[in-house]
Amino acid sequence: MIKATNVVKIFTGRGVPVRAVDGVSAHIGKGEVVVVIGPSGSGKSTFLRCINGLEAFDEGHIFIDGVDLAGRKTDLNALRAEVGMVFQQFNLFPHKTVLENVTLAQRVVRKRSRQDAEIKARTLLKKVGIAEKESEYPSRLSGGQQQRVAIARALAMDPKVMLFDEPTSALDPEMVGEVLDVMKQLAREGMTMCVVTHEMGFAREVADRVLFMDEGKLVEEGTPEHFFTIPTEERTRLFLSQVL
Amino acid sequence: MAGALKKTPHQLPWILLLAAILIALAAGTWGAVRKIDYAWRWNRVPQYFAYKGEEPVKIPFDGRVEEIAAQGAKASVRLVSEEGKTMTVSVNQDMLRVSEGDDLFMGDTVGFKQEWRLGPLMWGLWTTLWISGVASVLALVIGLLTGLCRISKNLTLRTLTALYIEFIRGTPLLVQIFIAYFFIGTVFNLNRNVAGVGALAIFAGAYVAEIVRAGIQSISRGQMEAARSLGMNGFQAMFHIILPQALKRILPPLAGQFISLIKDSSLVSVIAITDLTKSGREIITSTFATFEVWLTVAAMYLVVTSILSQLVFYLERRFAVSD
Repeated sequence: MIKATNVVKIFTGRGVPVRAVDGVSAHIGKGEVVVVIGPSGSGKSTFLRCINGLEAFDEGHIFIDGVDLAGRKTDLNALRAEVGMVFQQFNLFPHKTVLENVTLAQRVVRKRSRQDAEIKARTLLKKVGIAEKESEYPSRLSGGQQQRVAIARALAMDPKVMLFDEPTSALDPEMVGEVLDVMKQLAREGMTMCVVTHEMGFAREVADRVLFMDEGKLVEEGTPEHFFTIPTEERTRLFLSQVL
Repeated sequence: MAGALKKTPHQLPWILLLAAILIALAAGTWGAVRKIDYAWRWNRVPQYFAYKGEEPVKIPFDGRVEEIAAQGAKASVRLVSEEGKTMTVSVNQDMLRVSEGDDLFMGDTVGFKQEWRLGPLMWGLWTTLWISGVASVLALVIGLLTGLCRISKNLTLRTLTALYIEFIRGTPLLVQIFIAYFFIGTVFNLNRNVAGVGALAIFAGAYVAEIVRAGIQSISRGQMEAARSLGMNGFQAMFHIILPQALKRILPPLAGQFISLIKDSSLVSVIAITDLTKSGREIITSTFATFEVWLTVAAMYLVVTSILSQLVFYLERRFAVSD
């Protein structure tokens, strides 16, 4: 489904080049849930943003369903429509109602009729449990509700894969659960997911595989059982001892 | 019970102070004017808003007055030409210059018609309004396009618009109007209205561009990223997501710019466009009522700009529903 080979992303801040993603190779199979963890600044979010081309990488290749993101003829917009993304800061469109947030891209990008888009949107809003808020503006919603709308918005495009960039980091603790529940449900339904998170519980419970990144490099990769019980790398053990 | 920190401020003394200051200002002005012995003639001003004009009604052929019928204050005069053509004209009863049976030659005056006409102040106001209106619309278009070019990734577009904005903001509007009329207008044979409106639009456009740029840049990056992550292209994201939010945010500075534009339009009077300011100057040359006319002209500008700012205030509140 997704195959990344030797991806390098270099930021040049104040003349000092920083290798934010440094030769990461990974793959995500269809229906697989891969959780990326690591300390802050380890490049995991940047790597995720490379996967849908929000961040242009300097070297390497990322294939989504066989299409090379770095290919000269690749239509990035068409590709992004197949890759759903959920942001840490929700990034709902504040000037649109909840319903419009979920229908807009369907109509503009997928060229669906208003009616079809609204039917789809209502189904998804019901699925994430906020059907009754469809005519509210995002500012009237709690963080957890906003994030669930953001998930519905991404799902409305019928993506082949969903990327989650620390979806619960900006939430109040009591709202983390409702968002994670929606994500767990998605995982159960067989959605291909790549999740950057600090929620170790979620990783342990839902992930098929865990990737551990540090300083731009992929340090360790394995099943949650392996990862949380017998990590091989010293760096991983140190990190886990700090967060668990 | 009542919070100790929250005190009800006493407004009355301050209202009294405000009134005292305003009265002192008015009295001071009045006293100062009295000293220079200026004869106020406010009664001369209203006629420049609207006046009763007399227009002679003339016979377009050689002929005869067949019949005069009174209709209230008007008189209906039936004229018959030598070839037998009839025509009926209406004049004021008390300004009738013919009687039944008179023979008239082509161009003779039958009588006078009296009707209300707009005076030069109103015509000047109209000119100011349409010049500012057209210039505002053009400025918005120019500003939107150049504002977008200003943040474009394309070096050529970015540099061109930067030069444009730098040039316009670095030179006085008065000089720009002279250049537009005497240089560009001469080269391309533009009439004064085109040159005047063009100069104003290009001037305001540069400021609008900077407002638009700032507005777009004030929208968080996440909005663009969210839109792009849903598969929208740059144009769709700009049109559906960024611009609507940016426009809402820049409405107040934009309104300020357009209010400025109305005031700046007074400068086109230097290329002999008879706007409100030039009308005022012309009236002064015939009345010498300098004080009254300039105060009136100022009040008229003030009315227009106040209405505009109230309108924007109303719009702002309407747009605030999603906040």
